[in-house]
Order: sequence, then C-alpha cells, then structure tokens
Amino acid sequence: MSRLLYPVLFALLLAASALAVLVGVGDLGDANLRQTFLALRGYRLASAFLAGAALAVGGVVVQGLFRNPLASPSVLGTTAGASLGGQLALFGFALTGGVSSVIVPEMIVPLGCFAGALVSLAVLLVFLRVTQDLLALLLTGFVLSALFLSLSAFVISMAQETWELGRAVVAFSLGSVSGAGPRQLLFALPLLFTGLLACWFWGRSLDLLLSGEEEAQAMGADVPTIRWWAATWVSVLVASAVSVGGNVGFVGLVVPHMLRPFAGTKHQRLIPAAALAGGVFLVACDIIARVIPSKSEIPLGVVTGLIGAPLFLMLLIRLRKEHAYA
Amino acid sequence: MRDGNGGAAVRADDVTVALDGRTVLHKASLHADPGEVVALLGPNGAGKSTFLKAIAGLLPYGGSVFVGENEVSSLAPRQRAKRVAYVPQRSLLRSTLSVEEVVALGRYVHAGSFGGMSNECAEAIEHALVTAHADGLRERIFTQLSVGEQQRVLLARALASDAPVLLLDEPTAALDVGEGLAALRLIRKLADGGHTVIVVVHDLADARSTTDRALLIQEGRVVERGPTSEVVSADPVRRVYGVELIENARIGFESSDEGGQGHR
Repeated sequence: MSRLLYPVLFALLLAASALAVLVGVGDLGDANLRQTFLALRGYRLASAFLAGAALAVGGVVVQGLFRNPLASPSVLGTTAGASLGGQLALFGFALTGGVSSVIVPEMIVPLGCFAGALVSLAVLLVFLRVTQDLLALLLTGFVLSALFLSLSAFVISMAQETWELGRAVVAFSLGSVSGAGPRQLLFALPLLFTGLLACWFWGRSLDLLLSGEEEAQAMGADVPTIRWWAATWVSVLVASAVSVGGNVGFVGLVVPHMLRPFAGTKHQRLIPAAALAGGVFLVACDIIARVIPSKSEIPLGVVTGLIGAPLFLMLLIRLRKEHAYA
Repeated sequence: MRDGNGGAAVRADDVTVALDGRTVLHKASLHADPGEVVALLGPNGAGKSTFLKAIAGLLPYGGSVFVGENEVSSLAPRQRAKRVAYVPQRSLLRSTLSVEEVVALGRYVHAGSFGGMSNECAEAIEHALVTAHADGLRERIFTQLSVGEQQRVLLARALASDAPVLLLDEPTAALDVGEGLAALRLIRKLADGGHTVIVVVHDLADARSTTDRALLIQEGRVVERGPTSEVVSADPVRRVYGVELIENARIGFESSDEGGQGHR
C-alpha cells in the first residue's frame, strides 16, 4: 500500500486540479472572459495547494515537536497568531505612511505572520518546561487562539477609522484562497519551499524527540536547539499559508493522521507525503466550498472545520482510552 | 561497540546532584574500566538512577565525570552520545515506529541529515539487532512488543551508537526469570567484549551473579563499595535494607541451555 502512496497522491492531485479549474462561478464558454476565469481559478488552485501543503507539514512537525497527536497549527493557536501578526503588519504599514514604493503590503504581511506564529509557538515551548501534560498543552493552545482572535477583533475595530485600511485588514482576516493574486503567491512560495526543505532537514532530529526529551538527549540530540529551529520553520510554513489563505483550521491535524498508516511515522518520509496530500486536501475542500449550493460562497475554513472537528474529537476519545502519551 | 573500537574508562568523582533544590546525590564517586560490569545497588529512591543519569550527562551535576579523556558535561550532545549510551528502564516512545526504525535512531550521532543510510550504519544496526537478540523483531511495531522485547530493542538502540560505555537502568526489572537471565548473560558478554558497563540493579542475587564490582547507595550517599561479593554480604545488606542475607538460598535459577526458552 505504501508503494502506491505517491502514484495515488499524484493522481488525486491531477484530478483535483482539473476539477478546480473546471468548477466554479463563471462560464468558461464565454470566449471573452475565459482567460480571466482560468487565471483566477489558477491562482486559487495554487493558493489552496500552497496553504494546504504548508499547514499539513506544519501539523506533522508540531505533532512531533510537542509529542502530541492532537497538535496542529490551528489547535495550538499558531495560525491565529500568524493572522494577528499579519493584521498588525498591515496596520503598522498603514500607520508609517505606507508610501514607500519598495515595500508593498504583500511583502510585509508574511513577515508579520511569521512573527505572530513564532511568538505563539515560543509561549508553548516555554510552557513545555512547566508541564508535559498533553491536554494542558492543548488547552493553552486554545487559550492562545482565543486571545489572538480577540486581539484581532481589536485591531480590526481600530483599523475601521481609515476606510481603506479597514477593508484591507478585514479582507485579510476573513481569509480565503480566492483573494490571493500573483503577488501574494510570489512572496509565499519561497517561504513554503524554504520551510519544507528545512523541516525535512530537521526530520531525523524530530524522530528522536518522539522518545521524549531525556532519551533524545541520551541519543545525542541537542533538544532545545532542535525545538527552536523546528518552531522557527513551522512559523515560516504557517506564515506562507496564512498570507495566501487566511486562518484555515484543522488541515494540519487531519492530513498527518490520514497519512501515517501509509507513509509511516518517520518525519523524512512523512513530510514530503504530507506536503502533497495537504495540498490535494485543501484544493478538494476548496472545490467542495464552491459547489455546495449557497447564496454566497462558503468559507474554506467551514469545510475543513466540518471534516476536522469530528476527527479531533475522535482522536481525543481514543487518546483518553489508550492513555497514550501519559 | 563493534570490533576495532577502543574502550573507555569512566571516572566519576564527588558527583553531587540537586533536583528541585534538594540534594539527592552527595559526593558519589565511581570508577569503571573496559571489560567491567559495575552495579549500582540500593533501596528505592536511594539515588542510583540519578547517579546513572548524571554519568550519562543527562542531569546537571557538581563534581566531575570523565569518560576516557573527556569531561562529560563539556562535550557537545553528539560527542557525548558517541561515547556513552544510556538505556532507560522504559521508553517514552508512543509513536508507531518499527523496531528497525527505533534501532536506527541510535545511529543519529553518526548519520548526516540528508539522504539514505550508509553501509556502515546499516551494518551497525544489523549487528546491534543480532547482538541484543532483537533481529527477529525488526518488522514489528515497538509499542506492540512485550516489556522484555522492548528492553532488548532499547539495548540494540544503545548498541547501534557504537558507544564504548553502556549505562543501563534496571534492565531486568520488568522481565520474567528467563528473560532476566538472558539479559544478564548478554550484559556480561558485552563487557567481555570490551564495553564498560554500569548498571542499576534491583535484585541483589542478579548483582552477585553478573557484576564485578558494586556500589551500595543509601539516601544519596555511597555507603559501601568493592567486589560485588563483598558488597552484597550480610553486614551491608542488613544495615541498608534491614534484611538478613541468606547465603546459598534454596531457590536459584540458571539457563537450561544456550538457546533455551526462546529467550536465547
């Protein structure tokens, strides 16, 4: 089965990409508009794939980093932190005039997202020194998430004073892969590739962390260094995802769990598969969001949430039963 | 440690460890040479495991611990792990890694971050699996093994690092009598092959049968040291454990043959 993993993933990618280009609002039969529709759907496809890949790999890495199968960038508040960071960056950009012709918001937003994500992970890493309890970590993640979301609301209300800024911040915080254009993709892509490569590079060290801090140390791992670098690269990935797709939840939880039976647990095998599968998963979710009949389009996060939340509960119950990670 | 690697002596002097502000080990000293098995004995909570972890460089300590020429706390993690391998009583690993993958983790300090595994690594893993009698388990999932099987895999993981010093924390604690005997015989064999072995032992009879020298630890202090037969004798045992030692007790066990009971 594991030998078929990549052929199956690539086949799914092809199918999902084809559907993503063919399905949606707008008539491809209209010769005048065909090019525009195709381009818009192409950007949307690329954004969804990019965000899905980044969040899925981010999920794999935080699950190893915290030795917690229920961790994911959204559960731990990392995406919310990135989202807040992006808004603050936009806000700061506007406050400082935003007139510089060199720096465009598309460049500043990923930086802000990165900083926000890293701050949220740093809080959790410090927290990890106090207790290794699995549920306590998740609760802290939820609290962080809630805190970042209310701060976001505050930033949005502050931003309303200027109409244009308000619009930009709101559009960003609602988050949707439909809004990303070539410029966002241009800045997010290098982040994605760097993050993916770096996470893969740290894969062997992350394998060691699965045995816990003391055993990892005994096997020669420099545990604090590994943790901080892993957190840094996860932040890069989450920043790339949030800067094109906004705050999309549960991808990092669902995809690694779907993959482990086929790709195994070793990070260097799981990470490339998760990138591919995560991309396919989010593209598929985006298609679902488009085809569900509704007056306005359903946000992407609603679809991933509908799939992810039940899975999260299922895993939580299984975990309590097994007392795994106790 | 496979053929061709030199041994390394362990010399710990006045090692003091404080955990949460409480001193749990006072000025403990120990010396172990290649080819020797040294036992750390004592009641529960005496500080045996703490001493072992300090020697492994896993706890901050006062005093000094030398492995060969190097002070353990001054070594980078990778360099330290090339010299000292530590086997915990139980692993905290909960992920679904296969036995072979778990043993491969022991090669971390020798492997680069990129690409596949070198021939040398593959050989070391194979050798470790065979030596620890875990080669029949290689495809199995670690977390689904019995405690005794897991113990063999953890030993194989330690052996895969090729470290000349082996530190074992109660390797026979959760084993049945056959597994326990097999484990002790293996420990003896590893020392005879040139390893320096320091082992925390719960069972005084096990210590007598397998180890060369012993330290008896009570409330964080070494109260008795010397050849195991002298340390595990009537007086010290009465003083520390409050029990009478009966020489030549009526029940004892030994393996029926080299390949017996499937424990090999």
